[in-house]
Amino acid sequence: MYDVSPRDGAVDHKELKFRCKDVQVFYGDSQAIKDVNVDIEDKTVTSFIGPSGCGKSTFLRCLNRMNDTIDVCRIEGQIKLDGEDIYDADVDPVQLRARVGMVFQKPNPFPKSIYDNVAYGPKIHGLARNRAELGELVEKSLRRAALWDEVKDRLDLPGTGLSGGQQQRLCIARAVATQPQVLLMDEPCSALDPIATAQVEELIDELKQQYSVVIVTHSMQQAARVSQKTAFFHLGNLVEYGDTDTIFTNPQDERTENYITGRTG
Amino acid sequence: MASQHIVSSFDHDLEALQAQLMRMGGLVESASQNALKALETRDLELSLAVRDGDKVIDRIDEELKSDAASVLVRRAPAAGDLRTVLTVMAISTHLERCGDYAKNIAKRTTVLAETAPAPDSITALRRMARMVESMLSDALDAYIQRDTDKAEDIRLRDLDVDQMYNTLFRALLTHMMEDPREISYNMHLHFIAKNIERMGDHATSIAEQTVFMITGDMPDDDRPKGDTTAYSSPDTPAP
Repeated sequence: MYDVSPRDGAVDHKELKFRCKDVQVFYGDSQAIKDVNVDIEDKTVTSFIGPSGCGKSTFLRCLNRMNDTIDVCRIEGQIKLDGEDIYDADVDPVQLRARVGMVFQKPNPFPKSIYDNVAYGPKIHGLARNRAELGELVEKSLRRAALWDEVKDRLDLPGTGLSGGQQQRLCIARAVATQPQVLLMDEPCSALDPIATAQVEELIDELKQQYSVVIVTHSMQQAARVSQKTAFFHLGNLVEYGDTDTIFTNPQDERTENYITGRTG
Repeated sequence: MASQHIVSSFDHDLEALQAQLMRMGGLVESASQNALKALETRDLELSLAVRDGDKVIDRIDEELKSDAASVLVRRAPAAGDLRTVLTVMAISTHLERCGDYAKNIAKRTTVLAETAPAPDSITALRRMARMVESMLSDALDAYIQRDTDKAEDIRLRDLDVDQMYNTLFRALLTHMMEDPREISYNMHLHFIAKNIERMGDHATSIAEQTVFMITGDMPDDDRPKGDTTAYSSPDTPAP
C-alpha cells in the first residue's frame, strides 16, 4: 500500500567516487573512527547522520585530508578517489582539495570582494588563462550556486556584507569554482533561516547532476529530503548505510531506529 | 521498540492514537455482534441502536485522522513510528467501513423483521458472522500484541469465509428460483452475507497492515482468494 521502494539515484547503478576501506582515525590515544568501510557514489547526495561526537564530521574531513592540519590526528586504512589512494605520499593535499571542495557550517567568505572570493581558487590553481576566462568562470560558478542574479551588479562589494544565506551560497560558488568532482558539506544550513536553507537544498539537488555531494547534517528531515544515500554513525562506527528511503522507513539496526525516531538508545 | 522517546509527549501522542483505535475496534466488534443478534431475534430496538452507534464510529475515524495528521506535522515520525501512524490511519478506515456494513445489516433487519424467518439461511449467516467477528478481534489483538504470526493466520482464514459465502450465495439463489415471492427477502439476506464477507476482507487488510507496521513490508499479494460468485449465473453448476 505504501511505496517504500528506493527513489531516483538508488535504483540505477552509479559509478563509485570514493572507496573507503577499514578507515581508522585516532586523535592521540583516542579512536574517533573504527573500521569504517563505505563506497560513495558519483552524482549522488550522501548524507552522514548521527549524534554529536559520533565521528561523522571527522570522517568527512578525511575525504579531503582536512585532518592533516591537526597534529595529533592519525589515519589508517585506505581512501581511494577514482581508484587513487588520496593518502599516497605523492598526492598534493592542495590539489586534492581543489578536486574535493568543502563548505562549512558557518559561512566563511574571505574578507575580499564577491568577485575575488570566487576568483581566488581558479587563480591559484591556474584554471583561467586571462581575465575574460576568469570572469566567465566566476559568473558560471555564481550561477551554479544560484547567486548570480542577486550579486551581479555588486561584484566588487565585500562578500562579508551579504546575508547569511547569500554568504553560504558564495562559499558554495567558491567551492565549485575550482571545478571539483566532489563537494563535502559540513552542516551547511545549521546557521541559516528556513528560506536560505531551502535555497541551499535546492542547490544541492542541482549540484548532484554534476558532482558527488556528501553532507553532514543534524537535521534528519534534511537528510531525508536531500540525499539518496544515508550513513548512520554511532560512537565512531558506521552502523548502517543504505538507501535514504529505507533508512528512514525501515532501518535494520536498532541503534539507527532509536536515533532517527528520537529515542534514548 | 521498548525504549522511550526523549520527548515523552511523543510517546503519549502515539499511545493516545492507539488507545483511540482500540476503542473504535471494540465499538465495531459490538456493532457487528449486535447487528446479527438483532437480525436473529428480530429486535428492532437493537438494530436502531446499531444504526445510531455508527455515528460514534464515524466520528472517531475523523478524530483519528486529524490526530494522526497532527502527529505527522508536529513530530515528523520516522521508521517504526511513521509506520505506526500510517497504520493507524489505514486501520481506522477499515474499521469505519466495517461499521458501515454493520449499520447496513441493521437497516435491512427492519425490513426482514416483518417477514417470516428462514432459519437455515440465518444459521449460515450467523456461522459466517462468528468467523468474521473472530477474525476482526484477532486482527486487533495481532495489532496490539505486534504478532505477525497471528496476523498471517487471519489472511488464510479469509478463504473459509469466502467459501461459506459462495455456498450461501448458491443457497439463496436456489430459494429465489424456487419461489419468486421470496426474492425480496433473499436479496436482503444476500446483501447481509456480502456485507459480512466484505468485513472479512477488511479484517484481512487490518492484519496485512499490521504485518507492514511490524516488518516494514506489506505481505505478498498471493494469498488464496475464494469468492467465485462474481463469475456465476443461475446456469452455472455449483462447484
